[in-house]
Amino acid sequence: MASSRDILEKLAMKHRALQETLVKNKHADDVQALVPSAKVNVGKLQPTMKAAESSDEDPGETLKRTLRAQRQRRKELLLSKSSVQESHNNEETEEVSTIKRYSPNDKLADKTEESSVISIKPPSGSYGSATPQPSSSVFLDTFVTQHLQEKLRAARSKGEKLQQLEASVQSPSRLQQLRDRDTVTRFDTRQVDPVGAGRHDDPPVLHNRIKFREAARRVRDLPTAEESYNFFTFNFEPDRPNERLSRKRQIRRKSAEEARDEEEGKAAEVEEDAGGEDDQDETVNQSDEAHLVQNADDLFVIDHSPQDFLVVKKAEYVSYHTRIQQESELFTPSFRTVPASVKLPENMKPRFLEEEGLYVGKRPAISLTNENILENRLLKMDEGRKWFGDDGRIITLPDPVKESSTRPPLADMEEDLHPALQTVYRRPLKSMYGSSDPTGDYQIDVNVSGLIFSHHPLFSREHVLAARLAHLFDQYLTRRQSNLSGHLTDKLNGLRNALRNVVKVHGDQDLPQALQRRIFEYSLEVRNTRHLRDMEQEKDRTLLKNIIKVWKEIKALREFQTFTNTPYKLYLRRENVDLAADEHMYEEEILTEALEIEAEHEEDYQKKLAEYKKQQEEWKRWRKKQKAKKKKKKKKKRGQTQDDTDEEDQDQEGSESEGPFEEGPPKPEPPERPDFDSIEQWVREKASRIRRKPGEVILTPELSASGSITPSELCPRAEVARREDVSKRSLFIKVLYNDKEVSRTGSCSLRSDFRVQFTQLFHLKILNCPQSMNLQVFEQIGSSSSLLAQVFVPVPEPSVVTGSAPVETFEFSSNQRVMFDHEGVGSDVPLSFEPDGSNKVILLTSGKLACCVSWGIGEDDVPRAPPVSQQLGAAHSGLGHLDAVTYIGASGLYDMKKISEWATQSRLDPNDPNNASIMQLLKVASSGEVTAPDYFRLEHLQEEFNFATDEEMEKSKRFRLLRLRHQGVPEFRNYKFVPAFSSETSEEVFKEYDRRLRDEEIINKEEHLDSHRALVARYLQKIRESVINRFIQAKHHYLLSDLVVEEEIPSIGGAGSGILGLNLFKLAEPKRPLKPQRKERKKVTAQNLSDGDVRLLINIIRAHNIPVRKPHSNKPGQSSQSAIQGSEWFISQVQVKPFVEVSFQRTVLQTTTADGPNPSWNEELQLPFSAPNGDYSTTGLQSVKDEVFINIFDEVVHEAAASNKERRPSVHTQTEKHWLGSVKIPFSTIYSQSRIDGAFRVNTPAVLLGYSKEHGSFAAYDHFRKPNEGTFIRLFITMEPQLVPGEAIREKIKEMTFESQEDERLLQASETFERAAALRYPDRPCITTVIDLNGKTVFITRYIRPLKPPQEFLDAFPNNPQEATTLVARYVSLIPSLPDELSFCGPCDLWSTCDQFLTLLAGDEEEHAVLLCNYFLFLGKKAWLIMGTAIPEGPTAYVLTHEPSGFFIWNPSSGQCFERDDTFCPLQTIGCLVSSDNVWFNIQEKASPVNMSFDVTNTSWWKPFFSRSFSHPGLSSVQPEELVYFHTDRAAASDLQDRIEKILKEKVMEWRPRHPTRWNRYCNSILKQFLPKLELSRGQDVAKAHRHELQNLLGDYRIAGFPLHMPFSEIRPIIEAVYSTGVHNVQVSNVEFALAVYVHPYPSYVLSVWVYLASLTRP
Amino acid sequence: MAELHIIGQIIGASGFPQKSLFCKWEVHTGGAWRLLSGLKEGQTQVDSPHSGEMAYWSHPIDLHYATKGLQGWPKLHLQVWHQDSFGRYQLYGYGYCHVPSSPGHHRISCVTWRPLGSWQEQLARIFVGGGPQLRNPDLIYSGADRYRLHTEAMGTVNLELGVIIRHFDKHGVES
Repeated sequence: MASSRDILEKLAMKHRALQETLVKNKHADDVQALVPSAKVNVGKLQPTMKAAESSDEDPGETLKRTLRAQRQRRKELLLSKSSVQESHNNEETEEVSTIKRYSPNDKLADKTEESSVISIKPPSGSYGSATPQPSSSVFLDTFVTQHLQEKLRAARSKGEKLQQLEASVQSPSRLQQLRDRDTVTRFDTRQVDPVGAGRHDDPPVLHNRIKFREAARRVRDLPTAEESYNFFTFNFEPDRPNERLSRKRQIRRKSAEEARDEEEGKAAEVEEDAGGEDDQDETVNQSDEAHLVQNADDLFVIDHSPQDFLVVKKAEYVSYHTRIQQESELFTPSFRTVPASVKLPENMKPRFLEEEGLYVGKRPAISLTNENILENRLLKMDEGRKWFGDDGRIITLPDPVKESSTRPPLADMEEDLHPALQTVYRRPLKSMYGSSDPTGDYQIDVNVSGLIFSHHPLFSREHVLAARLAHLFDQYLTRRQSNLSGHLTDKLNGLRNALRNVVKVHGDQDLPQALQRRIFEYSLEVRNTRHLRDMEQEKDRTLLKNIIKVWKEIKALREFQTFTNTPYKLYLRRENVDLAADEHMYEEEILTEALEIEAEHEEDYQKKLAEYKKQQEEWKRWRKKQKAKKKKKKKKKRGQTQDDTDEEDQDQEGSESEGPFEEGPPKPEPPERPDFDSIEQWVREKASRIRRKPGEVILTPELSASGSITPSELCPRAEVARREDVSKRSLFIKVLYNDKEVSRTGSCSLRSDFRVQFTQLFHLKILNCPQSMNLQVFEQIGSSSSLLAQVFVPVPEPSVVTGSAPVETFEFSSNQRVMFDHEGVGSDVPLSFEPDGSNKVILLTSGKLACCVSWGIGEDDVPRAPPVSQQLGAAHSGLGHLDAVTYIGASGLYDMKKISEWATQSRLDPNDPNNASIMQLLKVASSGEVTAPDYFRLEHLQEEFNFATDEEMEKSKRFRLLRLRHQGVPEFRNYKFVPAFSSETSEEVFKEYDRRLRDEEIINKEEHLDSHRALVARYLQKIRESVINRFIQAKHHYLLSDLVVEEEIPSIGGAGSGILGLNLFKLAEPKRPLKPQRKERKKVTAQNLSDGDVRLLINIIRAHNIPVRKPHSNKPGQSSQSAIQGSEWFISQVQVKPFVEVSFQRTVLQTTTADGPNPSWNEELQLPFSAPNGDYSTTGLQSVKDEVFINIFDEVVHEAAASNKERRPSVHTQTEKHWLGSVKIPFSTIYSQSRIDGAFRVNTPAVLLGYSKEHGSFAAYDHFRKPNEGTFIRLFITMEPQLVPGEAIREKIKEMTFESQEDERLLQASETFERAAALRYPDRPCITTVIDLNGKTVFITRYIRPLKPPQEFLDAFPNNPQEATTLVARYVSLIPSLPDELSFCGPCDLWSTCDQFLTLLAGDEEEHAVLLCNYFLFLGKKAWLIMGTAIPEGPTAYVLTHEPSGFFIWNPSSGQCFERDDTFCPLQTIGCLVSSDNVWFNIQEKASPVNMSFDVTNTSWWKPFFSRSFSHPGLSSVQPEELVYFHTDRAAASDLQDRIEKILKEKVMEWRPRHPTRWNRYCNSILKQFLPKLELSRGQDVAKAHRHELQNLLGDYRIAGFPLHMPFSEIRPIIEAVYSTGVHNVQVSNVEFALAVYVHPYPSYVLSVWVYLASLTRP
Repeated sequence: MAELHIIGQIIGASGFPQKSLFCKWEVHTGGAWRLLSGLKEGQTQVDSPHSGEMAYWSHPIDLHYATKGLQGWPKLHLQVWHQDSFGRYQLYGYGYCHVPSSPGHHRISCVTWRPLGSWQEQLARIFVGGGPQLRNPDLIYSGADRYRLHTEAMGTVNLELGVIIRHFDKHGVES
C-alpha cells in the first residue's frame, strides 16, 4: 500500500521537477535552506564513491541516510517491476547526477554558512518524522535490498569509469536518446501524476527532491548546448577523449582551489559541467541496464490479459492545492530592500562617486519596490553582482528623459508654414451653448484729444462775443487759405482772354459750327464763373465786416464792464494800394462785366424772340385747325341721324383726349427787350456791395490771444463768482460702443478759455459687429456729474487704421437750460447784446470734440479690422463685393479681359479658396499660354476603384427609403421596417411621395370640390411648413424634464400624498365608498409604447332628453295607421330604446339598450388606439386627426309579419337602429386634456322623422331661457395608460422668445401678469400675448376691433337686431373649425386675424370667437372675449355679451348662446376677459360662469392688465379696418351640391356591397325641396309641418331619416358623418333610400351643407 | 453599393490635465460615401467627474453609410475641449482615428494633441486661458507637413465602435 503510494508520489515529484526546469530562476533562499538536507542525503550515498566525505557525519544522520537509501532502493525495485521503465531510468540518472552537483556546494555550506545549516534543521526533521511511514516488515526487506543496491551501484560506477572513453564519443547519440526519454518520461509522469498529487504529505522531501531535479536539469542542460555546438562545429579527432579528460582534471583542480577561497560560484558551475558529463555517462550505463530489465518485463507481461494494454485513467485535474504549490515554487523575488553588504564585494564600503565630486547623472525615476525586486533578482543571477556599482546600487545610465523639447526648432521653416498648420491664439470662448468660433479679434482705437466749447453756460458775455469772433476768424482763415474768390477771378480772366482770342483770330468771318459752339461754351462758362466769383467775393466781404463788427462789440463790452475775460485781440493790417491803378482796374472790370451781361441779355432776348415766333406760328396753326373742326362738326351734326350718336360720342371723347394737347400752346407773348442802361447801373451797385472800393485800403484781420485777462481781484463780484464756478467744473468723456460703456477718460478741469485737453487713446478689442460709437461728454461739478452732450462717431471704414487717420472734430450741442445768477450767460436763455434788450439770441451749449476713431494695428502691422466682405451693418453695405455678373454682364463672363478687370476692381482676395479657380484662370489668361491640364483631382483613382456608379446608388430603392426616412419626410417618418434588399422594396412605397411631389404645384380640385378651398389648403400647407421649420428649433431645446425622468419622492408627513398619510387614509376609508373618486394615474411617456398598448376608455354614463318616438295617432291618413300597425302596442309602451355606439378608427362598440328618454347605461367601452405609422411620439400623437364618434341610436323592433305565410305562430322580428344624434370628439382633445368628463350636447338633426323633441332646437336666443332643451349625454373619456400630453413643448415654446414688434415693457408686463395668474390660479387660462401667423408675438387686445358683418345679414332683419345677431353667430359657426394642433403639427396656438381667417376658412375656436366678438361690437353690443376652458374643447375662447336682459355666453363654433346661469353651458372656467382696450383676469373664488360676477370694474374680482400704474399705451389693432366679403357664386354652390350628392350616393352604394341600393326618386325630390326651407329657418320650427307634408306624400312607407347639417370644408367629413349615422345599414330587402343635398352659399365662400338622408321601407 | 453601419459610443476621455471636458466629433468620409441615416457630427455634454480621472460622455454614435467605393473610409475627428470654472471653454486636443474596417466590436483609444504655440502663447494660456488653435482644423488630418507643428500630447479619448459591413464581399472586398 504504502510503497505503491510512494511510487506515485515520486512520479508526481519527478514530473514536477521536470516542470521546474522550465523555470530558470530558482528560489535562492530555498536552495540555500535545503542545502544541508541535500548534503545529508548526498552524504549517505557518497560513501560509494567518496568515502572520505561521509566520515565526519554523526550517527543520527547516518540512520536517516540509510532510511533514505532504503527508500530509494525499494522504489527502484518497484520500478523495475513495473513497466514504466523509462521513468525509472531517468530517476536513477537524476539521483546520481545530484550527487555530483552538490558536492562542492556542500563544502560551501559547511564552511561558510554554519548558521543556515542550523536553521534548516527543522525541515530535515520533519522529513525524518515523515519517513517512518513504511511498515517494519518492509523496512527490513528494504534494508537488505539497499545493500544489494549499493553493491550494484558500486559496480556500476566502476564500469562507468571504464566506459568513459567510449561514452564521450557516443555522447551526441546518447544525448539524443536522453532527450527522447526525457520527453517520454514527462509524458508518463503527467499521466500518473494526478493520482499521487492528492496524497502528497511530506513537502520537505518534495522540496529536496525538486531541488535535486532542478540541479540535475541544469547540469544536464548546460552540456547539452555545449555539446551540440561541438557536434556541429568540431571535427572529432581521435585524441579528443584525452583532451577532455585532461580538461576535466584541470577543472577539478581549479575547483579545489576555488572552493578554498569560496568567493564566487563560478567554479561550482564549471564543476557542474564536469559533473554533467559524468552523469550522462552514467545514465548511458543505466539505460543499458534498464533495457535488460525492460525486456525481462515484457517477457513477463506477455501472459497478461489484453486489458492490460488499456489504461484506465482518471480525468486530468490539477488540484488547487497543487497549483498553489506550483505557484509557490516559482521564483518570486522578494521586494525587501537588499542590504548593501550583499550587493557589494566582501569588506567593501559603498563608495559614492557623487560625494567625491564626480559628476553622476540623474538616475531615472524607478519605484523603490521595482528596484528592490530587480536587485533581488540580479543577485540570484550568475555574476549578478556585476550589475551593481560601487555605491551598492544598480548601475544606470543617467535619466534619458529631457526636461525640454529636444526637437530642433525648425526656425527656418516657420515662415513658409502651410497655412493650414498655422495656429491662432484663441482666448477662451464664453458662450451659452458653445456656438461657432468667433470671427476674429478686432480692435478699434479711439483717440479723444480734446474739446472746445463754442458756447458754455458759464460763458460771460465777452466770451460769447469772443467765441463768435474766433469762429468768424476761423472762417476767414479757411476762406483765405482756399482763396476761392482769387481763383475764380483768375479763371474768369483766363476765360475772357480765351474768348477774346477766339473772336480776334477769326474776326467777323463766318465761324464754323464747332467754333461757334466753343464760343458759346466759353461764354456760358464765363457767365457761371462770374456768378460764382461774385458770390464768393460777397461772402468774403461780409465776413470781414462781421469780424470787425464783433471786434468792435468786444471792445465796447470790455470798456463797459471794466475788465477783460478773453485774451483775444484783433489787429487789422492795412495795406495801401495805388489809387489810380486800382480805380482803373475797377472801372475796367465793371465795363467788361456790363458788356458781357449786355451780350448775354441780348442773346437771351434773341432766343426768346425766336421761340416766341415759333410758338406764335404754332398757335396760329392750331387756331385754324380748331376752326376747321368746328365747321366740320357742325356739318356732321346737321347731316347725321340718331344712330350716329355713338360715333359722335367717340369723336367727342377723342377730341377730349386731344384737348389738353391742343389747348397746349397758349397765345405766346412777345418778350421784353432788355434795358441796357439799367445793366451798368446794376453792375456798379453790385460791385460796390461786394467789392472793395477803389483806393480803399486792404484790411487783413489778425486775431491773437496775446491780451491779458484781468485778474479776479479786480473784477466785480459777479464775475468772480463766475470764474469760481468755472474752476469748479471738470469734464470727462465716456466712450460707448454699441450702447455699452467701454471706457471713460479721466476728468479734466474746465479752463478759463473753455478748452479741455484729454489726449487719451483707448483700444477697444471688439468681438461684436460695431453698430454705433458714441462719445458722451459729462460735466462734473463736485461729485455729481451730468450728461452734457452726446457725439455719435461713425464707425471707421476698414481702411482707416491708426496712424493714418486724421483727427476729426465733431460738433455737439445740448439743449439743456442753464441759468446763473452771476455773470455766466447760461444756456438756452435769451441773451441780448443791445442795451435796449432787443435782438435777442438764444445760445445753446455747444462745442467741438476732437477725436479720431480708427481700426487698430496688430503687432505684425496687420490692421485689426474686419474684412471688407463682412458687412458691418447697413451703413457699410456698400462696401460689399461687386457681383461679377452685374459688373460685366453675363456675356462678359467669357471675356477674359473683363473678368480680370472685374477681379482687380472688386479686390478679390487671391488667398481666398473661393476665388482660387478665378485666380488660376486669370493667371493662365494673363500668361497667355494654355498649358497642359495640370489640374488637381481631389479623389485620386476614385473612379477606377468604384464598384458602383452614382446612378446605381440613386436607383437603389432601399437607400432612398432609408434616406427619406432619415430626412423625416412625412410619408416615411417613423417608417419601421426597411427591407434588407432593394429588390424587396416595392415601388408602391414611393408612390404616394412621388405623387405628392408631382402634385405640389397642381391644385387638386377633386378632393376639395371647390377651387378656392383648394387654394386655401395649399396656402395653409405653406404656412404649416414654415411654422414647422420654426418649431424645429424649439424641439431641440431640451428641458431638464425631457432628459431626466425623476420619480417624485413621496413626502412622509404629507396628508394626502405622503406615504404615511396615504396609508392611514387607506385604513380608514371604506372598501366601497359611496362616492368613488377618480384617482390620478401615473403618466406614461409616449416613446415606450407600441400598437395595442393604448386604449381609449369611454364611460357612457347617462343621457337626458332623448327624442322619443312619436305616437302615430296624431297622423292623419289610414295608410299610415296600417303601416305601423304591427308595432303600435309597442310604441304605446316604450317611448324609446336608445343605445350608444362608439366608433373610433373604424372600431365600433356599442352599449346595451336602455329604456326611456333619460337612460342610464353606466358602461365602459374600451377602444384600441393605434397611432399612424406606430409613431407614439408626442408630435405623432398630436397629429392624429381621428375623431371619436358617439352616436345614439334607437333600437326599433318590428315584426316581420308579412313574411309569415304559414299559420304557424312564429314571430319574426327585425331590429332596426335609428340614428338620433351624435357627439364628435377629436382625439387631439382627449390627448391634450388626458381626460374629458362632463355632459355633452348631442348633435341632433333638426328634424327626426318619427321622433319628437319636447322643444325646438336652439336658435333665436330668446328661446334659450328655457331650461333643459336639447339632448345631453354624460361621458367620461380617458386613455389607458395616461399619456403625457405635449405640455413640455408648450413650455418650451413659452421659453422661446419670439420676435415681436411689441414694446419690450409691454411684453415684460404681460409675462409677469401671466406668471402671477398661473401661480395663483393654475387652472384658469390667462392669455395676454398670442402668436400670429407670422410667428410674432402680438398683444391680444389688438385682435378686438368692431368689424362689419356681411351686409345681407344686417339687411335681412332691419327691425330685429336679435335676429341679426343670431344670423351673424350662425355665419361664424359655419366657418369650418380646424384645431391649430392639427393644422400646425405641434402645440402652437396661432391666431390669425379676421381677414386671414375668412380667407383660410379654417380656424380654431379663438378665431371664431374673435370674429364673433368683433361682429357683436359692430352691432353695438358690449362684448368681450372669454378665455376659459370648456368641454369638450379644453382651453378655448367664448364670447360674452351684455344685453339689457343679462349676460350671455356664446359658443362661437356652434353658434349657440347660453344664459349666464345655464347649467348646461359647456364653458366651465373663465380665465380672463379681453376687450379692445384691456384684459381682466378672473380672481374670483369661483371660475364657473354661474357663480361669477361680470362686473369688470371691480378690481377685487377682476384684475385688469392695464391699470392706473401701467396705462394702455394705445395699441393699434392688427385687424383690418373693414372686411371684404366676396359674393359666393350660386352656380358654384349648386355645382358643389350636385357633386356632393353624386359622391354620397356612390358611397352609400359602396357601403352596401351585398344589397342592391334603390333610390326613391320621388322622395329625393321632395326632400330636396324641403332643405332650403330648413336653411332659411335655421333648422327649427318647421319640423312639424314638414313631417305632415312628408307623411302625406309617402304615407305608405315607413320612413327613418333626418337632415344633417354642417359647415363645408371638405368632402371627407361629410362622408364620415353620413357613414356614422348608419342609415345604410338597413338590411331589409325592400328598403329604398332617399338622399338630398343642399348647399347654401354665404358670403366669402362660407357654405352651409344640408344632407337629407332617409330610408324608406314598404311594409 | 456596400453598406456600413457604425454603432457605438464615445465613452470618455482620460489623461487630460483638467477635468470638465467635452468633445466635438465629426465623421469624415470621402466622396464615394453617402450617409443614409444618422448624425455625422455632434458634441457631447461637459462631464466633470467628481471622482476618478476619466470623464465619461457615453455619447452615442449611430451611422449608416452606403458607399460606391473604398476610398475615403470614414474617419472620426475629435476635438476635446475644456470648460473652465468661469464657464469659458478652450481647446484641449485634436485627434482622429479611422473607423475600423473589420466588422465587429472595437475598442479604440484615440490619442490627442494640441498645438503648443510660442512661449508667449503658452504663458498666456497658463494665466488667461485659451490657447493656440489651428486656423483650419480640417486640413490637419490630411496635412503632410504636420511635423512642423510644435505640439503637446494630451489625453486619450476612448471609443467603442461596433462595425457592421454589408455587401462588401459582393464587390470583392474581403473582410
